[in-house]
Amino acid sequence: MGASSNIYWLILPLVVAISLVYSASRHEAWPRIWSRSLRLSLWILAILICTRAVLLLINTQV
Amino acid sequence: MKAAFLAWLVPGLGHYYQGRKGKALLYAVCILGLYLVGFALGGGKVVYWRWVNPMNNPEKFAPHYIGQFFVGLPALPALIQGTIRHFAPESNFLWGFMAEPPQNVLNGLILRFNKLLEVGTIYTTIAGLLNILAIYDAYEGPAYLDLDEAEAEAEAGQPSSTVARPEGAV
Repeated sequence: MGASSNIYWLILPLVVAISLVYSASRHEAWPRIWSRSLRLSLWILAILICTRAVLLLINTQV
Repeated sequence: MKAAFLAWLVPGLGHYYQGRKGKALLYAVCILGLYLVGFALGGGKVVYWRWVNPMNNPEKFAPHYIGQFFVGLPALPALIQGTIRHFAPESNFLWGFMAEPPQNVLNGLILRFNKLLEVGTIYTTIAGLLNILAIYDAYEGPAYLDLDEAEAEAEAGQPSSTVARPEGAV
């Protein structure tokens, strides 16, 4: 794994922080904050991975 | 209002003032952590402000500081430096800490840090934007204090006061 691919790992703390802060600003109960932030993290990561896959596909096919 | 101001000044401080210590810790760790990591990734040169008209000089305009500004006190020296440099360009306030880096320094940083410079800018800017959510939470309280949440708390055996609107919120 090269240095350029390692930069993608830096998205993880960003996604976790965004999910936690967003969920904490929407809810007051802790179990709900944890569950909503986990769900939001997975959604963001799934969208990012899908977008990356589509772009990679376009890039290799065109 | 005081809690919102404190939440802007230091992420989490407004919630600590309201007695919501858990949330204060979460906001402080997430927002300040993101800001400090971003600041370090960018070699301490990614937070700065220039007083220029974006219509006349868009290349010199620093739009990322608009987001970074909302981190509060940790990003405030950049605004002070930018203002001092605008009126007294030769000044050396705080030994140039958070001052706008000269163009040759910026070019050197791009060569040295490459994409990490951009990641640092993104981290610090998003930290500020996230603090807007925290400021709003301190000012207005959480978005959902609906019946479902209160019932869920009651079922769990906790008093309903734990989900009551926080003190200081309007």
